[in-house]
Amino acid sequence: MSELKPYDDNQLKVIVTQEQIEEKIIELGKKISEDYAGQELVMIGVLRGSTYFLIDLTRKMNIPFAIDFISISQYSEQASSTGVVRITKDLDVSISDKQVLIVEDIVDTGLSLGYLLRNLKTRNPAGLKVCTLLNVEARRIVEVPVDYKGFDIPNIFVVGYGLDYNEKYRNLQLIAELKRPK
Amino acid sequence: MGIITISREFGSGGESIARLVSEKTGFLLVNKEMVVQGLSEHGITKPTSRLEDLDLKSSEDQSGRQYIDAMHEYLYDLAIRRHLVILGRGGLFLFRDYPPALHVRLIAQFTQRVQRVTKLYDLNVETAVKLVKEQDRNMNRYYRQVFDVNWNNLRLYNLVLNTEDMGLEDAADIIVAAYRIHAEPRELKDGPASAEIEDSVLTSPADEEADQFMHPSEEEFAHMLDFYRIQWEYEPQTFLLEWDSEGNVVEAFSPDFYLPDQDLYIELTTQKPKQVWKKNRKIRRMKELYPHINVRLIDKRGFESLLKKHSIDQDQEEGDKD
Repeated sequence: MSELKPYDDNQLKVIVTQEQIEEKIIELGKKISEDYAGQELVMIGVLRGSTYFLIDLTRKMNIPFAIDFISISQYSEQASSTGVVRITKDLDVSISDKQVLIVEDIVDTGLSLGYLLRNLKTRNPAGLKVCTLLNVEARRIVEVPVDYKGFDIPNIFVVGYGLDYNEKYRNLQLIAELKRPK
Repeated sequence: MGIITISREFGSGGESIARLVSEKTGFLLVNKEMVVQGLSEHGITKPTSRLEDLDLKSSEDQSGRQYIDAMHEYLYDLAIRRHLVILGRGGLFLFRDYPPALHVRLIAQFTQRVQRVTKLYDLNVETAVKLVKEQDRNMNRYYRQVFDVNWNNLRLYNLVLNTEDMGLEDAADIIVAAYRIHAEPRELKDGPASAEIEDSVLTSPADEEADQFMHPSEEEFAHMLDFYRIQWEYEPQTFLLEWDSEGNVVEAFSPDFYLPDQDLYIELTTQKPKQVWKKNRKIRRMKELYPHINVRLIDKRGFESLLKKHSIDQDQEEGDKD
């Protein structure tokens, strides 16, 4: 907790503690291990926010699995008039006929996850599910299935445990609300 | 949509006149039979007792209240899609503050009505007198209970037509002419509903350039949906809402976006939170009237947080996904 000091004028307020995260990850790791026992599982981390969560989660699993990462471009106002979402780093493994679990740090609007699900579905996985550490139902625009989730949080801007603000706060071991000065 | 409501005293020729008006205008005739049939197709059956006989204040008649609510919802729903001639059914009150509607009341002297009923139902005069009196009482009671109004107040109507000694054809012609002169021009002028519905038919959702967004935030939102390859339609549908008890006119409501793959309507608002209550109320009302429709409000804070998130990402070399 001692590190919970903002780098700038922003204010940080703890939303989920390190202990709560650890407990939840043990619980999720157990559940996923049970659900996928005896199956060929590919864990897909969505870059970059989910890396911490993915690593810690897999450490609490006791079944074999493959691991891979995917990254997609993000909407920005500049790109908006012409661009469409695209994959900036694709999978290196084939997921055809395999059980796939997408691991997210946070699911909010569902826009990018929705795209990812549609894209991966075309590769004929045997199963396609979603695990997210944080879920912000209040910001949902398109419905996406969330099969495993850590915490439901309200519509606030959060950092820590992989989530950043201008590359800051990613390495916090807890989740905090970032309040910017007026 | 065009709406002609016809309220009639029993025995004033309402059924036949409404049918003729429907034929002359091509508007769908909505009468008791049609509503009962339409609702039963939705699995909603009419209570065994007559609606006029229900005591709506008593808890025993909950089913009656529910049936009446369902009927009103059904009529609003129909009105979105069709032009209607509504005979009775409280149409006058349901579309009270919809300016392009024409509200007609048919009247005739008691003796004339008895005469007509005697002939129509092949009754003796005594029975016909009883029947007409009873129907009058029932109607008064029904409108008082359901709408809390005296439907005999002729000021409620745009056109009051005395059908004594008047041919049914003539009566229907007068109503159609009144509609054309009085109500129809207002529909074209004031009726965003029909204009938008027609626009949406003409405008392909993909034809983005053709969409005239009312607000820059809507355009931005559309770009974002495009970016994520999510199909959308801009204001494709207008929902009619009832008017509130304070007498404020609550217009029809056209949510900004429809996402067909999600079967979801989205209303964006960039108003300050204090002003959002109005939209919230509309959405609540819409959910009451159209419970099967999914609608979501994205308020200023929600919308800003979408953009804020993204604008943060812009600062980065490569944005994180959400």
